[in-house]
Amino acid sequence: MGKLFAVIKREYLERVRSPWFLIVTLFGPLFFATIMVLPGYLSLRGLRDAGVSQFTVLDASGSGLGDRLADRISARPNTDSLPPAMAEMANAMAATPRPVVEVLTVDALAAREAALITEVQEKRLVGFLVIDSATVDKGAARYAGRNAGSVGETERIEQALRSALLSMRIEAAGISASTAESLTRLRISLSADRITDKGKGGSGLASAFLGGGVAMLLYFSIVFYGQAILRGVLEEKTTRVAEVIVSSVSPDTLLAGKVLGVGAVGLTQQLVWLSSGVFFWTQRGALFKMLGMGAPPPMAFPTVSPTVLVALVLFFLLGYTLYASLFAAVGAMVGSQEEANQASQPVIMLLVFSIIFLQPVLLNPTGRLAQIVSWIPFSAPIIMPMRMTATEIGVGELAAVLLGVLAMCVACVWVAARIYRIGLLMYGKRPGMGELMRWIRQS
Amino acid sequence: MTELALDIRGVSKRYAEHVAVRDLTLSVPRGAVYGLLGPNGAGKTTTIRMILNIIAPDRGSITLLGRPNTDGSIQDRIGYLPEERGLYKKMAVRDVLRFLAELKGVDRRTADMRIAEWLERLSLRTAEKDWGKSKVEELSRGMQQKVQFIGTLVHDPELVILDEPFSGLDPINAQALKDTVVDLKRRGKTVIFSTHLMDNAERLCDAVCIIARGDKVLDGSVAGVKAENAGRTVALALEGSASPAVMGVLQDKALVERVDDQSRYFEVELAANADAQVLLRRILEAGARIARFERVQPSLHQIFLQRVGATGVEEGMSGHG
Repeated sequence: MGKLFAVIKREYLERVRSPWFLIVTLFGPLFFATIMVLPGYLSLRGLRDAGVSQFTVLDASGSGLGDRLADRISARPNTDSLPPAMAEMANAMAATPRPVVEVLTVDALAAREAALITEVQEKRLVGFLVIDSATVDKGAARYAGRNAGSVGETERIEQALRSALLSMRIEAAGISASTAESLTRLRISLSADRITDKGKGGSGLASAFLGGGVAMLLYFSIVFYGQAILRGVLEEKTTRVAEVIVSSVSPDTLLAGKVLGVGAVGLTQQLVWLSSGVFFWTQRGALFKMLGMGAPPPMAFPTVSPTVLVALVLFFLLGYTLYASLFAAVGAMVGSQEEANQASQPVIMLLVFSIIFLQPVLLNPTGRLAQIVSWIPFSAPIIMPMRMTATEIGVGELAAVLLGVLAMCVACVWVAARIYRIGLLMYGKRPGMGELMRWIRQS
Repeated sequence: MTELALDIRGVSKRYAEHVAVRDLTLSVPRGAVYGLLGPNGAGKTTTIRMILNIIAPDRGSITLLGRPNTDGSIQDRIGYLPEERGLYKKMAVRDVLRFLAELKGVDRRTADMRIAEWLERLSLRTAEKDWGKSKVEELSRGMQQKVQFIGTLVHDPELVILDEPFSGLDPINAQALKDTVVDLKRRGKTVIFSTHLMDNAERLCDAVCIIARGDKVLDGSVAGVKAENAGRTVALALEGSASPAVMGVLQDKALVERVDDQSRYFEVELAANADAQVLLRRILEAGARIARFERVQPSLHQIFLQRVGATGVEEGMSGHG
């Protein structure tokens, strides 16, 4: 027991003391938050900065459509498809100026167009939109400019144009201008609440976020710490320190100590992340204010039952142990990092298999595919926690899946320990399948 | 308390393609320095790994310090230096040594004290520099070897097993190792080491066992082994170099079994039933002037060559011991 503890202590302290641990623990969440929020932020910034509004509208329709359009372009951006938090952000950022509208006759159009082309070429103007009677009749308009290839921008012009035309036609049908305006500016906001056996269980969107987050966290932890085990075993093997160690402790103790020690590092890290996550969640009002984003959107934290919480921890422990033992076996089989990269492919494939199904399961956590993938012992530790938080799973099903994962875990540890025992002191050629089978039988 | 530090009985180990050790029986008394000799691939490392319970023998029993070697508690009383050596490169020297001591059940205070002693003794801690704080990878190869010795001895083991301890050592560290072995013996510890360097074995060992191709060739005290193989060897030194006529005499199979020719000095092993007096007369008749003609005890090297034979050495060169 004392020796096992010595191995665990070494694995734990050596890793926790390294500067990398500190960096990843402190900046990991920041990094994840960045890669989740940054794309949305950048595209919004893009919309504003690209100066969609800084184009000229040549209105030859003689109907005042140009002004209506300009009003709509400078109005709030369409954020219906965005989650509430991001919609807030988008609105705060996208206060766009009104484009210049030139009203002219059809005859003057060609000359003015030619002049504007020169202006665009000389970079004094981004582009120009031409509307005429055809626009009023059939909705056909022409845009020309340097940013004509941008789908986001042309779509925005299209939407504004559609809305402007609609309001004009409604007015033409005899409805007052203000009524027409409010009719066309209709905004939809659908709030989806999850219903569980115990009543309404908080925002469905929040559940999906939590489920996806948990799955990604488990996936990254398993990959990250599984690889750490592989590298550790490989180091002991290539530096030949392994032989000294196994003359003092049994290979099984060494393997167990390694898996437990590295696992403890992972748990420490997640504890730090979890507690900081809870802190930020409870303090989100102050945080939003600090960042100048106004009040945070009302989003109820999904209720997580104690059963789910326990199952979550069990899935992490079992999933980690399962993959850690496989990675350890790979480390003991090979003699160099290059060989390790190759030999760990099958294990990585099992993990990638799980992550491929992440999105489909997230979109439909109650579907048949989600069920099957969350039952397979190799993908269950990642997919099941996600399903569990996104929708409700019966205790019976949960227990059955956990038992399946446990059985597979025991089998993997058994096989891995045997490969490890022999492989640790074997140098030279990487063993083939037949040789591996002999190792497993032999020890 | 049993008098034997190590007792191996009828141990065999077979790998898929070859027999590594065949029916080996040997015993090492407590307090002895014991040499396990043999060419590369003879089965020395396999034997040592079986002694340490790193691999299990197919047959036979091994007793260490009076207890079966599978008894977990026995590991703490043994120090082991493998042939392939290495340490955790990124760890500080003191942390590695503390870890190795903890694996042997030494408490932290005792470990720190002994580590400090050893670092000083092997000049890894001086007034200018304390290498104990450095990472292993910052040390020179020679210094890393010293750290490895300390790791083997830090728990003050009763039995020390060294696999090819002299391979890769610079002369200074080789001398330090020899001194350490002598010191361990003086303090009543048992030392078993494998080597293919007969000179070291002859000078350091009380007893030896020669194995080749997995078989024990002979064992016993160094004095005993030499006495058993004595009487057939003649040391011959000439004034000037040997004439063809003298060489002819030395190659006469009726007189000479084998000769170790060093130009003016020869170690001659007499043929069965040959008489040394006849050899002396024939050499004189061949016109040689003799500086020395003496019946001597053969060196271990000589015995090794004689008993294992050139073929054993050659065949043994492939594979690992």
